[in-house]
Amino acid sequence: MRVRPPARDAGGRKPSASAAEVGAVAMSETVVELSGVWKVFGDRTAETLAAAKSEAISKAEALERFGTVIGVRDASFSVSRGEIFCIMGLSGSGKSTLVRHVNRLIEPTDGTIRVLGQDVGAMGTQALREMRAKHIGMVFQHMALMPHRSVRDNVAYPLEVRGVPKSRRWAVSDHTLGLVNLEGYEDRLPQELSGGMQQRVGIARALASDPEILLMDEPFSALDPLIRLQLQDQFKALVDELRKTTLFITHDLDEAIRIGDRIAIMKDGVIVQIGTPEEIVTRPADAYVREFVQGISKLKLVKAHSIMEPLESYPGVINGAPRVDESADLDRLIDLSVGTDDPVVITEGGRDVGVVTKSVLLRGIQGGRS
Amino acid sequence: MTDAAIDPVTDKTARAGRVTAASQVEVDHAELDASIARFVGRNAGYYSRAFHRIHDTTRGVPLTFNWAAAVFGPLWAAGRGVWGFFWGFLILEIIAWVQIGRGTWGELGAESLAQAARQEARARQFLEQAEAVRLAGEDPSRFETLSNNLMRAAERSRETAEAAAADATHILLTGLALLLIVKLLQGLWSNVVYEKQYSRWRIDPAAVVSGVKPHNVALGLVLTLAIAPLTVYRFTVEDVSPLLTAFPADPDHYTGAARWLEAQIDAAARGGSGAFDSIVLGVRQILDAISLALIGAPWPVVMTVICVVAWRSAGPRVAIFTAAALAYIALLGYWEIAMETVALVGAAVVICVVLGIPLGIWFGKSQRAYRMAEPVLDLMQTLPAFVYLIPIIAFFGTGNPPGILATIIFGMPPVIRLTALGMRGVSDSIKEAASAFGASPWQILKDVELPLALPSIMTGVNQTILMCLSMVVIISLIGGGGLGQVILEALQFAAKGPGLLGGFAILFVAMMIDRIVQGAFRRRD
Repeated sequence: MRVRPPARDAGGRKPSASAAEVGAVAMSETVVELSGVWKVFGDRTAETLAAAKSEAISKAEALERFGTVIGVRDASFSVSRGEIFCIMGLSGSGKSTLVRHVNRLIEPTDGTIRVLGQDVGAMGTQALREMRAKHIGMVFQHMALMPHRSVRDNVAYPLEVRGVPKSRRWAVSDHTLGLVNLEGYEDRLPQELSGGMQQRVGIARALASDPEILLMDEPFSALDPLIRLQLQDQFKALVDELRKTTLFITHDLDEAIRIGDRIAIMKDGVIVQIGTPEEIVTRPADAYVREFVQGISKLKLVKAHSIMEPLESYPGVINGAPRVDESADLDRLIDLSVGTDDPVVITEGGRDVGVVTKSVLLRGIQGGRS
Repeated sequence: MTDAAIDPVTDKTARAGRVTAASQVEVDHAELDASIARFVGRNAGYYSRAFHRIHDTTRGVPLTFNWAAAVFGPLWAAGRGVWGFFWGFLILEIIAWVQIGRGTWGELGAESLAQAARQEARARQFLEQAEAVRLAGEDPSRFETLSNNLMRAAERSRETAEAAAADATHILLTGLALLLIVKLLQGLWSNVVYEKQYSRWRIDPAAVVSGVKPHNVALGLVLTLAIAPLTVYRFTVEDVSPLLTAFPADPDHYTGAARWLEAQIDAAARGGSGAFDSIVLGVRQILDAISLALIGAPWPVVMTVICVVAWRSAGPRVAIFTAAALAYIALLGYWEIAMETVALVGAAVVICVVLGIPLGIWFGKSQRAYRMAEPVLDLMQTLPAFVYLIPIIAFFGTGNPPGILATIIFGMPPVIRLTALGMRGVSDSIKEAASAFGASPWQILKDVELPLALPSIMTGVNQTILMCLSMVVIISLIGGGGLGQVILEALQFAAKGPGLLGGFAILFVAMMIDRIVQGAFRRRD
C-alpha cells in the first residue's frame, strides 16, 4: 500500500515534469499516477469531503446528509509504461468516473493526477487539449463514432483536431485501420459495420495519434461473447506490440484476467484490491473479491510456486519424477501428473525448490489450500 | 466453511416445503382489513366489508349500498376527498333541485299570463277607439275586429299559462324522480369509486386523500352553498335580480385602461422611433434585394431558374408541377405580384433562420435560457396574428417591412425550438469522445453538434417556411403587398371570381415552395 502524499498546495504545482521524474526513464517508468483522488457529485462537495475524510461517512450517509454522491473515494494507483492496468467493478462502482479523471473529462474534487509527469489538474485548457489529442487515446463502451463521417474520417478526427493536413491524416488513418484488420472499409459509414467492427474503428481512432496512453471504457461489454474473445486477443497482441500504457475498464473479471497485467477491483467508489491476476485469484483481499473470484478457472492463472509444498515434506529423493519450472501453470502440472505416479518436482533456476503431489494439485484446482 | 457448504442445501429443501403453489393461496383478510382501516379512518368495519364485497365480485357491478353517500351525496364525497364524484353529483343534484323548485314555487305560466294581460289591455284600447269612432259617426267595425282578434289571442295565452301551471306537478314529480335516481346512483356507486381511490392510495399514500378530513368537509360545504342556492334561484324565479344576470362592469375602467395603454404605446413609438426606423430600413433592404432578383430579372430567366432548382432538388415530377403552376400564375397576370409574395416569404425566412438558428443553439446549450425563452415562444405562436398587427402598426407603420416583421413573429418559433431540440438530442457520448480527443468547444459545435442536429434544424426551417407562407394573406391587412392583397380586395367587394383565382395562385406558390424545400431536405437525409 502506498502512502498518500500531502494534498496539493493551493497555488498548484508547475505543470512541467520535475527532475526526478524526467530522470526515471526506464522499464518501470510511471506514466499515469493518481494519488488520493476523490470525486463527489452534488452541490455540497466541500462539506461531504471534509465529513468523509474525518468521519469516514458511507455513500448512503453522504446522500442523506448532504444530498451528494461519492463517486470515487481516495483512489491511488500508478501505471508504468507498457502496462495494461484493468479496473474491474460492477456498474455504479465508480470505475468509469475514475478513469475519466486521467484526461480530466471529470474534474477531481480532491487529489492529484499526474500523466507523463505532468499535473493534469494544473493544466490550462490549451495544454489539456494538447495532452488529450497527442498523448491519450480513448475507446468508449458505445463506440461514440460520428455517424455522419466515414470510417476514415472518424479515425482521423484526433489528427484533424490538431490541424494535421488531410493527406497525412488519411495516410495515418488507413495505416491504423490496417492494424485492426479493417482494410477496405475506409469509405463506409460506421452504421454499415457490425458492432465488433465499429469497436475496431473505435480502437483505430484511439491509436491514430499514436498516444502513449489508452483509456478503454468497457470497450467490449456491448459485444457478443465470441466477438469479445476475439477482440480481447487481438487487442492484447496489438497493445503488447505497440507497448501502449493502458487503463482498461471492465465489469467482467474473466476479461480483466485475460488482458490485465494488474487488476484493481473497485466497489462503491473504493479500490478494494490491486494486484496481478494471480494475486487477486489466490489471495483475495476480502469477502467481496472472494465472491468474484470463486467462479474463475485457475488452470492458466495459478502458478506452481503458489501451491507447491516444501521439498522437506518428501524426504525421499525423487529422481524419476518429472521436473518443471516454478512459473508453470496448473494446466501444465496436470499434463505432467497424468503420466506418472510420482509427485511433480518444482525447480527454480534448475534447482529443486518444492513438490506438487496429486492431492495438492487437486486442491489447487479447487482454489483452496486446506 | 463446511457449514456454509451444507446450509444452502437444507435451506433449499426446507423452503420447497414452505412455498405455496399459486392455486392454493388463501386471501389474507386481516392484513387487508388493517390497511383499509388505515385508509378510511372512520367506519372501518363497514368499508372493509364493502371493499371485500367489491374484491370478491367476479364480474359485473358489485352490489353495495352506502347510505351516508346516498343521503349526504356530494358532501360525503367532499369529506372523503373524492372530488370527481363530488362535482359530478353536485351538478346532477342541482338539476334535480331546479326541477323541484320550478314545480313548487316557479311561476311557470307567468310569461304567458303577462302576455295575455298586455293583449287584453290593447284590446280594451281598441274598443275605446271604436267607441270614439262611433261617436264621431264613422264605421267602428275595423277597430272592433282588431279588438276581438286580440281578445281571442289573450284567451289562447291564458290557456297556455294554465296548461303550463298544470305542468308544474308533472315537473315536480320529474324532479323528485330524478333526485331519487341520483341518490340511488350515489349509494350504489360510491363504494366502487372509493375502492379505486383506496387502490391509488396504496400506490401513493402521500398524494391521495385518506379518511374524513374536516377541512375537506368544510370546503365541500362552502362550495355547495356558493353554487347550489344561487343556481336554483336563477332558474326557478321569474324576476331574477339583474345583479345575477350581468356582471356589474364599470365602462370607465375600460376606457381608462385603453386610453392609458394607447398613450404608453404612442410614447414608446415616439421614443424608439430611431431604432424602429432602422429595423424597418434593414428589413426593406433584404426585401429589396430579393425582389430585385425575382422581379427585376427577366421573367424567362427566373422561371427557368425556379424549374431547374425544382428538378435538381425534388426530381422531375415536382419540376413539371412547378412549370405548370408558374404557367398558371403568369397567364393570369399574377407574375409580378406572385414574385412579390415569394420575396416577402423569402425575406421573412432568411431573417428567421439567421436569428433563429443561433438562438436555438443557445437555448439548446443553456437550460436556463430555454426556460426563460419558452413562454415568449409560446406567446409568439399562440397569440392570434390580428392582435399583434396593431402594435406593429404603431411601432413600424404599414407596408411590406412591417408585414415581414409580423411574419417573423409567427414563423420564427419552430426553427428556434427544433434547433434547440436537435442540439439537446446530440448524444453525450459522441460529444464526450470529441472532447476526449482534444476538440475545443467550437470544434465540437462544428464537427459534432451541428451535423448531428442538422435533420432537426432542417425540419425547423421547413416548418418556418410554411408558417411564413400562411401569414402572407394576413399581412395584407397592414398594407403588405403580394397575392394577399388580391385576396383582401376580393374579400372586401365579395368578388368571387378574382378571389378564387388569386386563392389558387397562393395555393400554387405555397405548394411549389413546400415541394421544392421538402424534396431538398429529403435528398440530404
